[in-house]
Amino acid sequence: MTEPPHPTGLANTSEKPDGVAPADGPPAVELRDIWKRFPGVVANAGAHLRVRRGSVHAVLGENGAGKSTLMNVLSGVYRPDEGDVRIDGMAHHFRTPADALAAGVGMVHQEFRLVPSFTVAENVVLGACERIVRRSAVELAVGALAERFGLATEPNRPVWQLSMGERQRVEILKALWRDARILILDEPTAVLTPGEADELGAVLRHMADDGRTVVFISHKLHEVMGFCDEATVLRGGKTVAASLSVADTDASELAGLMVGASPVITERPPLREAGEVRLEVRDLRCLDDRGLNGLEGMDLAVRSGEIVGIAGVAGNGQRELTQCIAGLRPVESGTIHLIGEDRTDATPRQRFADGLGYIPEDRLGVGLAPRLSVTDNAVLRTYGRHRRGPFLDSGAATSHCRDLVDQFGVRTGPLDEPIAGLSGGNLQRLLVGRELVDGPRVVVAAQPTRGLDVQGVKAIQDLLVGERDAGAAVLLISEDLDELLTLADRLLVIHAGRIVAEFDPTTAERHAIGEAMVGHAVPVDDQVANR
Amino acid sequence: MNEASLIGLFEATVSFGALLYLAALGEMIAEKAGILNLGVEGMMAMGAVTGFVVALQTGNPWVALVAAVAAGAMIGLLHGFFTVVLGAEQVVSGLSLTILGLGLAAFVGRGSVGEPAGAEMVSVDWGPLSDIPWAGPILFAQSPFVYLAVITGFVTWFVLWRTRLGLAVRAAGESASTADAAGHSVVGIRLAAVATGGGLAGASGAYLTLSLTPQWADGIVAGRGWIAVALVIFGAWRPGRVAVGALLFGLTLALKTRLQTFGVDFSPILLSMLPYLLTISVLVVISIRSRNRPSPAPAALGIAYRREER
Amino acid sequence: MGRRAGRPVLVRREQVLRGGQPLAFGIGLAVALVVGIVLLVGSGHDPMRVYERMFEASLGDPRAWSVTLNRAVPLGLAGLAVAVAGSMGLWNIGAEGQIMAGAVGAAWVARVGGEWPSPLLIAAMLAAAILGGGLLALGPAIARARIGVNEIITTLMLNEVAIRLVQWLVHGRWKDPDSHNFPLAPMLSDNARLPGLFERAHVGVVLAAIVILLFGVASSRTAWGYELRVAGSSGATARYAGISLERKILTVLVLSGGVAGFAGGIELSGTSDRITESLSNGFGFAGIIVAALALMRPSGVAAVAVLFGAVQIGGQSIQTMGVSSSVSTILQALILFGAIAAGVLSRYRVEMVAGDTTEVTS
Repeated sequence: MTEPPHPTGLANTSEKPDGVAPADGPPAVELRDIWKRFPGVVANAGAHLRVRRGSVHAVLGENGAGKSTLMNVLSGVYRPDEGDVRIDGMAHHFRTPADALAAGVGMVHQEFRLVPSFTVAENVVLGACERIVRRSAVELAVGALAERFGLATEPNRPVWQLSMGERQRVEILKALWRDARILILDEPTAVLTPGEADELGAVLRHMADDGRTVVFISHKLHEVMGFCDEATVLRGGKTVAASLSVADTDASELAGLMVGASPVITERPPLREAGEVRLEVRDLRCLDDRGLNGLEGMDLAVRSGEIVGIAGVAGNGQRELTQCIAGLRPVESGTIHLIGEDRTDATPRQRFADGLGYIPEDRLGVGLAPRLSVTDNAVLRTYGRHRRGPFLDSGAATSHCRDLVDQFGVRTGPLDEPIAGLSGGNLQRLLVGRELVDGPRVVVAAQPTRGLDVQGVKAIQDLLVGERDAGAAVLLISEDLDELLTLADRLLVIHAGRIVAEFDPTTAERHAIGEAMVGHAVPVDDQVANR
Repeated sequence: MNEASLIGLFEATVSFGALLYLAALGEMIAEKAGILNLGVEGMMAMGAVTGFVVALQTGNPWVALVAAVAAGAMIGLLHGFFTVVLGAEQVVSGLSLTILGLGLAAFVGRGSVGEPAGAEMVSVDWGPLSDIPWAGPILFAQSPFVYLAVITGFVTWFVLWRTRLGLAVRAAGESASTADAAGHSVVGIRLAAVATGGGLAGASGAYLTLSLTPQWADGIVAGRGWIAVALVIFGAWRPGRVAVGALLFGLTLALKTRLQTFGVDFSPILLSMLPYLLTISVLVVISIRSRNRPSPAPAALGIAYRREER
Repeated sequence: MGRRAGRPVLVRREQVLRGGQPLAFGIGLAVALVVGIVLLVGSGHDPMRVYERMFEASLGDPRAWSVTLNRAVPLGLAGLAVAVAGSMGLWNIGAEGQIMAGAVGAAWVARVGGEWPSPLLIAAMLAAAILGGGLLALGPAIARARIGVNEIITTLMLNEVAIRLVQWLVHGRWKDPDSHNFPLAPMLSDNARLPGLFERAHVGVVLAAIVILLFGVASSRTAWGYELRVAGSSGATARYAGISLERKILTVLVLSGGVAGFAGGIELSGTSDRITESLSNGFGFAGIIVAALALMRPSGVAAVAVLFGAVQIGGQSIQTMGVSSSVSTILQALILFGAIAAGVLSRYRVEMVAGDTTEVTS
């Protein structure tokens, strides 16, 4: 019978080492004073983490707080610049994920690494099986392992037939097959339905009861409250609250810790009188890439001369919303009106003709074509204008491009070279410039300052405010709450495919916004009354 | 049409089928690992000429076979080097190797055209089994290559679907990054697979000059390398189905010269178009059905893998 | 600090080496010539004399040039066909068959219009040739555009079908009654042959040059060429710009087939004097190499085609010295390999990475 490899010699037993009350053992995981820097950003600034053996421990934080980086350090993907990593009290210096696995640390990533045409069993044992693979024996062994942990699965089913929840179970099984004592899960419930999420919670509890340790990254507070023992909160690369016992805290407190309570003091551009409604979305519904619900009855309106910001945790429908407005995603029901005209089914070109400027989240790949030249990218939406019969007036195109580059301060090499060499900031300036150069009447900007340096961020923000001042209706979607609070005239919060709250950025409390973002109901009198 | 000519037809079907099967198995292995090898025709030519020349020199057909396999494998490794290590386009590298292989084979064999064979693979004598009516001459009086082809088929199936190595190879062809993450060397796997593919193509070529038509001439492969490529697709990348396809395509090859003796008034040339047209049809059907389920084609086929590029 | 077993890894250069591709081409040529020397010496010939003879026969005097240019025509047109499809990321491996289909179309018109005045007849033949090639590519084009069927295999298979079609015609209904044991199609009548240009070159050289120029201009200066570039670069971006991928795929593949068919028509009417099953003579496959070396750009195709034409013609000429013409085939393949290696090195550099990390720090 085929058995999984036993690096620690503890597999296939149901011993519970220190189990539920391990006050007498070293913590399963201890990360101390971890620093990790990347070009231009400090991802972890002295973060720490302490996880009790046999517990389910959540790591919380907003996007960019440093959670994924810290987990990557723990699982051997990154090497910390400073700090130590201790597993069961012993110091380790992981050089590769394989080293971490050998020490019993297995990670389940958000993007699954599975071969769709292989069966569950084949995926689980890939890279960790005997020389001769006896199919039935392997399937039996995998099935037994799955049952032991309550991960219902059919070992001989091809993975492509499985739902996301089932695929995740296969990923967990992979780690268990390699005898991971410490399991790290990155946003595991992001891809699950609520029912599947509950099942996962039960599985994690089961594993903890078995003496294993589970660490998971999450945004979803009710799940954290529901099946974790302890939580650690990160913000700005640091640990702001360590190993809080979940029983002793509540969602509000955790939300507050995640977003911080200090008010942001920045210059606000002067408020203007908003004009007529330029962009109106009514009861919009659409599907996401997996065929599940993307938008579920989205309503919003943006007027000329205002910036409406949308705050929310990634994956709650922001991407689907912008794609529907731009005409890149089919709408299941509901309407989209641009400047009073129904454009629900219009092509992207038609919407552009109406005066829509779209700054997509995917800079390279949708917004810009990496292998094409700067000029080619600059005229992507307007090349029709430079036609002379069948010909494209390349002189006119180039000078249009040059104007754009000058006006928006894009630093490039020769204009006929591929844009792939440009820095993120310049790519974004090019993209934004292209969309804004004609003075659009509606601007939809998705994560426009993501990944940019300070100057780049300021430049893009100034451009957006400039558009607003010129009378455009601007819809700004951002993961940076500070940015939204600074720029937006109205702030909406998106959660699970619809708008769940509206705030006045000048008076809102961050902590209330944070709670809305994570789906925690907010009392009505904290919201600005609808106009 | 009489019994003897029918037996002759089936015998030839098996012979040609084995020729195609050997080369197709090699191609299948390479494609299962993710490498499209359009150099089969050139590798077969090199195997053919190497086998012939070495047989002339040594008088030993088995040594000649080994040499032919080595020649094919080396060209396969070249293809692997350019595509896997350097990341060049698989189509371009493969076709260039066909051109190179055909040219090199013509060059090497230029002095041996028309020479009588130095050694031949004599048909295996199965004793009393060869006397069974029908089955005897068809199945039990064939060249050793035929049995080699059958054994290779089984071994290929076993390795690919019943061993750790085979799992790794298939993973490399479906999702190279997953295979990489599982700790396998995608580069190593693909190089080995394409070398094996070349070796089997070389063996197939040697079959031509050491057994089937024991002589060398420029152009002896006559497009059968392309049939082998077609065969892999026709058989949906499974050794069993490829075997069935090999017999089918082998039949069309055997019929080419025999249609007249059977009194059939159908142009053998038009008949010889059949394998290619059938393959296109199968491919269209596969593509249509792939809208709802994964295609039987290895998902990473033809795509270069570079870990650093994200 | 642990093992430091280094292994070489290819890392993308920040800046592609300028002049990379022509340089790579030059290196490829040099590598091929060197290996050729080895082969020739190994088989008992004097490499310098052989190369000299090859050069004289292909580029030595106007007559040589004329023969070389004739040879460059089908190579260049096939290369153009592949390049046009290649600029959108599509592979037309069927040029070999499309050339044949074009020749069939042209030959059919020649048979039917045997009495027509020459200019009309030739124009009709060439039009039929373009149609023939385009028709052969239509099936793969539709299959790819509508269902996503891989065009590499479909076009490849149709090569063999088209070649056999010619065989069937030549053995059957198109067989010259005067050729008894050896089936041959009858020779083309004089009014079906392309007029001469200079020395042995025919007008096809000018026609091919015009077509290549046309495509060169179209791809770099027209809106159509622009849309092709966008579609080839990124499907999502193309959708965003309002470009219909399906239509582009269809038109590009059929056009590619038409260009290859045109090559077949010219080859029939200019060089060959009758349709034979060896008319396409590997031009279709060589065209893929020509296009690859020209980086799928029409502007490079002409130059590479002339070079390959020279190598091929030179190769034929050395047979009288007792050297196998396969030397030229080998050289052509080697040029490509050398160029591939050099091309890769112009875009990537080799770095030693410590064997025990998976993390890339840059």
